[in-house]
Amino acid sequence: MPLRDPSTIFFQFDNVRRTIIASYWIIIILALPLWWKTTSIERLSLPSSRVRNQASKELRLPVHIQLPGSYLETTKRSQDQLAQTLSRQGVDVVFTGGHVEGSNPTYILKHGTNGLVLSDQELEYDFSDESKLSTILSELLCPPQQGHLVAPYSPRFRLSFTLLNENSTSENYVRSWDVSRGIRRYITPLLDQLSLLHNFTIESQVQYHAPLAFKPRPSRLSSEDLSVFVNSAEWSLSSSASNDPVLHFVAFVPSQPLEMPESFLLPQWGGIVVHDPPSLSVDDVFPIFARQLLSLLGVSPLPAGVKYTGDVPISRWQLEALLRQRTLENTHSSQDTLLSIVTLVDQIEGMPVGWNVKDDILDALNALDKVYASSSASLRETAKQSTNAIVLASRAFFNPDMLALLYFPAEHKYAVYAPLFASAVIPVIAAAVRELLAWRRQRRQQT
Amino acid sequence: MLFAALLFLLCFFDLASGINAHNVSQDEILQNFYSQGNNPQGHTNNWAVLVCASRYWFNYRHMANALGMYRTVKRLGIPDSNIILMLADDAACNPRNKFAGCVYANKGRHLDLYGDNIEVDYRGNEVTVENFIRVLTGRVAPSMPRSKRLLTDANSNIFVYMTGHGGNEFLKFQDNEEISAFDIADAFEQMYQKKRYNEIFFMIDTCQANTMYSKFYSPNVLATGSSVLGENSYSHENDYDIGVAVIDRYTHYVLNFLEGVNKTSQTTMQDLFNSYDVDKIGSHPGVRSDLFKRRVDEALITDFFGGVAQFIITVGRKNCN
Repeated sequence: MPLRDPSTIFFQFDNVRRTIIASYWIIIILALPLWWKTTSIERLSLPSSRVRNQASKELRLPVHIQLPGSYLETTKRSQDQLAQTLSRQGVDVVFTGGHVEGSNPTYILKHGTNGLVLSDQELEYDFSDESKLSTILSELLCPPQQGHLVAPYSPRFRLSFTLLNENSTSENYVRSWDVSRGIRRYITPLLDQLSLLHNFTIESQVQYHAPLAFKPRPSRLSSEDLSVFVNSAEWSLSSSASNDPVLHFVAFVPSQPLEMPESFLLPQWGGIVVHDPPSLSVDDVFPIFARQLLSLLGVSPLPAGVKYTGDVPISRWQLEALLRQRTLENTHSSQDTLLSIVTLVDQIEGMPVGWNVKDDILDALNALDKVYASSSASLRETAKQSTNAIVLASRAFFNPDMLALLYFPAEHKYAVYAPLFASAVIPVIAAAVRELLAWRRQRRQQT
Repeated sequence: MLFAALLFLLCFFDLASGINAHNVSQDEILQNFYSQGNNPQGHTNNWAVLVCASRYWFNYRHMANALGMYRTVKRLGIPDSNIILMLADDAACNPRNKFAGCVYANKGRHLDLYGDNIEVDYRGNEVTVENFIRVLTGRVAPSMPRSKRLLTDANSNIFVYMTGHGGNEFLKFQDNEEISAFDIADAFEQMYQKKRYNEIFFMIDTCQANTMYSKFYSPNVLATGSSVLGENSYSHENDYDIGVAVIDRYTHYVLNFLEGVNKTSQTTMQDLFNSYDVDKIGSHPGVRSDLFKRRVDEALITDFFGGVAQFIITVGRKNCN
């Protein structure tokens, strides 16, 4: 069969051939924006200047103290001293002679000779001795920090109450306890008052075999023994049903009497009460748990010598001191968190920023604005907004979509793309160049 | 071809709120006696993230490395809830394992590391670079259970241990992907920014391991690795019944040293680093302490490997019956 002239085959007609080559190029060009969109990371611009501006602010909370008019002038020195101490902790104190309308919170100082008596809003103080005034007030309004003892703020806490029998085959063993009465009587009143700050869930259990990890010596337990008292490997103290931080309260019944402190606290973890008599009364154990709970949540004890006569367990002074403390803390840490999001997004190029992150950041900024706006009006509102701010800022930070792309050096990109594309693209380019040359030659011949 | 070759080459307090009153002087005596616990460096909880980045039977030793560390941190008091163990976990129940359900780290099989109380948090295909970074940075899906989360705060000391096959500035994850030194450095920085740790101790056993911590830039990180750039890390010994190498040299000697440490030991990190013996390990282990604020000879082993030894006495001593 004789060879056919290529120009007579239909797909070798100039127009058909050129259309085929051009269609490859059209597809490649049309696909480029799609490829660009699917491979680039969504990085929405963040309100960085607003965040920086917000982060440079410092929250100040006002406190009004009402004095009997006659003492307003005579106690000037103590007033200045107090104002100076509190101002370092972000609290501005204002002394007034009469009643101040609508300002919250107001504390009332009264003259009394029965010692320091504290009730809901009032403190009786013997003004004949002014020396202690500023110390007492500063301890009441801004109690000293308890360092690592207090659990970090969380909007939710789980309280786990456990009755642990070291060995239920020994004589000293407690079969059960009336945990619901204990909680109702000693714990619930506290939780009701603290519900402004936290939401609580409670769980309880009884265990009958909880060996110690060390061999108790007959003598007094050493501090080393105490530090390893919790046998975390063998005691299962809380369920892992939720991600809320857990505060543990353990009543431990040893199989033989141990000479050791009756109760102790493990900072940020919980409290332990060691109970040896065979019968265990919740009225012995739960008051201790209640005190441990308050310490762990940051409710400061009243200064020595102060008698409290109110009917709720936590006095208003203590509760508001805690609110102030947590508000300052939360505001500060939400400012920090927002600032670190902005810094990290600038610093790590492969970090995506989606709509939900941006929305949370904007909401957190709005909450912070409300914190500052309400700070002179209502402490409770300020506390609520600061809680919102920290929750939103943390949610933005921990957004699962903000996972940075892995480090991928340029050499790796070539190594991935070249074998994939070079072999496909070279013939397409070559065909286009050849066709272009042919077309030019044709035109020259025609002219 | 060159590119393809490159690809392959990548080998106290009493609250006087009217509930209870007690004898103050007795408490003071007690507090002095118990000296209140000691915790100058300020952490209240310990966490461990243990990663075995390899899989397959012939990488038995990497599983044993990670399980050895797991057993040690647990023995020294970190509870299972605070240990994130990432393990391919295909050794104990491998059809080729003559000792089903057991993983040993020495010739003669003296100690079963797999034992009866082991909690693997990320298993098999879940051991990925992405999951590791998510665990560290805390960016996990809301549905993620507690056991798979690193719930640390500004008072947490974290021990991060990694083992597997690696090279210059990378560690291979399950023959499938790799993590670079930059990724770990960035993850630590994100943790630092969100105050997710007090101090980190990073330990890695792989070839050219020291390159893995060279890119760190966040404060309060102490790092150590098994070998310098261009140097291999070797396995320690074979068990002829198991048929594969059972542990790596570096991890073997570290674990040996840690066996002499108990929950209340005063041994320091410096003692651990001094115990490195190049002749025995067969490579040059490195230490990086420029980012670490404390002196290495004042940092206790138990600051990273143990549970926290801190307590405050609230109510006085009870009398003996």
